[in-house]
Amino acid sequence: MNIRQQLTQFLSLAYVFTSAFIVWKSLSIIANSHSPIVVVLSGSMEPAFQRGDILFLWNRNNLQKVGDIVVYEIEGKNIPIVHRVMREHHNFEKQLLLTKGDNNAVDDISLYSKKQQYLNSKTDLVGTVIGYLPFVGYITILITENVYFKYGLLGILGLSSLISNE
Amino acid sequence: MFNLVTRFQAATNQALTASVIITGVVIALTILQLFKDDVWNLQTTQVTNFKPTSNWKYSYQYGSINRKPKENTKLQFNLKTDLSHLFNWNTKQIFIYLTAEYPGKSTGSSNKITYWDKIITNPNDAKLDLKNQKSKYSVYDVEKSFRERNATVRLEWNIQPHIGPLIYGSTEELGQFQFVTNEKK
Repeated sequence: MNIRQQLTQFLSLAYVFTSAFIVWKSLSIIANSHSPIVVVLSGSMEPAFQRGDILFLWNRNNLQKVGDIVVYEIEGKNIPIVHRVMREHHNFEKQLLLTKGDNNAVDDISLYSKKQQYLNSKTDLVGTVIGYLPFVGYITILITENVYFKYGLLGILGLSSLISNE
Repeated sequence: MFNLVTRFQAATNQALTASVIITGVVIALTILQLFKDDVWNLQTTQVTNFKPTSNWKYSYQYGSINRKPKENTKLQFNLKTDLSHLFNWNTKQIFIYLTAEYPGKSTGSSNKITYWDKIITNPNDAKLDLKNQKSKYSVYDVEKSFRERNATVRLEWNIQPHIGPLIYGSTEELGQFQFVTNEKK
C-alpha cells in the first residue's frame, strides 16, 4: 500500500465534492435562491414539465408576472411545488399570487395552508423558472424513491473503488 | 493502467462534455431562430365582443371567507389570432392566456387576472378563431367586489422549448371592458 497514492486519491475525491459545492452555492448567490436548480416531482404541469425534468430558477424579480412558472414552498410542508401564476395583486408593499398547475382542473387554493388564499411573492417563492432541461434529473428520483437502485448504485461505487485500488 | 474503471470514466467524461456542447449549440440556435421569427409579436390578433358577467358566491373555492359574499366574474369574448410563427423545431408547447388588468385601491396598486388559457402542442392547431368563447375561470378579486372598474385586455403567451429558455410575449392593449355588478341576492 502506497500512502501517498491513497492520500492523492482522497484529495481528488474531496476536490470533486468541494467544486460541486462551490458551483451550487455560487448559483445560489447569482439566482438569489436557496435551491437554484430543482427537479420536477409531479405531473401537474404536463405537458410542459414531466417528472425528472430539471428547472433553472431565478429569484431576483421584484414582481412576478401572470403566466410565470414559479416554485413555491408552503410553510410546514417541505415539498417545493412548480406551478403557473394565474392572478397577481400588488401594491407598493407586497404582491399576492394565485397559482395553478397547467394539468390541474382547479387552482392551488387547496394546496395552501388553512385559511391561506394567496401566496406572498416575497416569502413563499423559491424562484421563477427561466430554463429547462428534460429528463436529466430522473436519477435523483430513482435514488430517493427506489431502494434497489440506491443500494445497487452504492454497491457498484464501493466495488469500483475496491477494484481501482489494486 | 487501462482497466475497466478508467475506460468507463473516460467514456462518460467524453459523453458528458459532448452533450454539454451540443446543448449549448442547440440553445444558441434556438435563440437565433426566435429572433428571426419575431416571436414577441402577434400583429393580427383580434379580441372583441367582451361580455362580462358577475355572480355572488359564498364558498371557499370562490374566494369567500366565512360565507361572506364574494363577487365572481366571467368574461365571454371572440378571439382571432395565428400563432403559427411561434412554433419552430425546438417548441414543445405554447401556453396562451387572456388577461385583464385593472387598478387597485391605493396608488401604485394593480391587479392582473386570467380568464382563459389554452395549451397548444401542434402547429396545425395554431390558427384560432373562437366565437363567444366562454371564460374558463370564475375570477374573484382581493376586494369584495370589482366595483365596476375598467379592465384592459391582453393576449399573452409562453413558449416552452424541448430544451432551453422559457420565452414570454404579450400583445399591446387589445381592448377594454367595464366590470358589471349584479344586485346582491
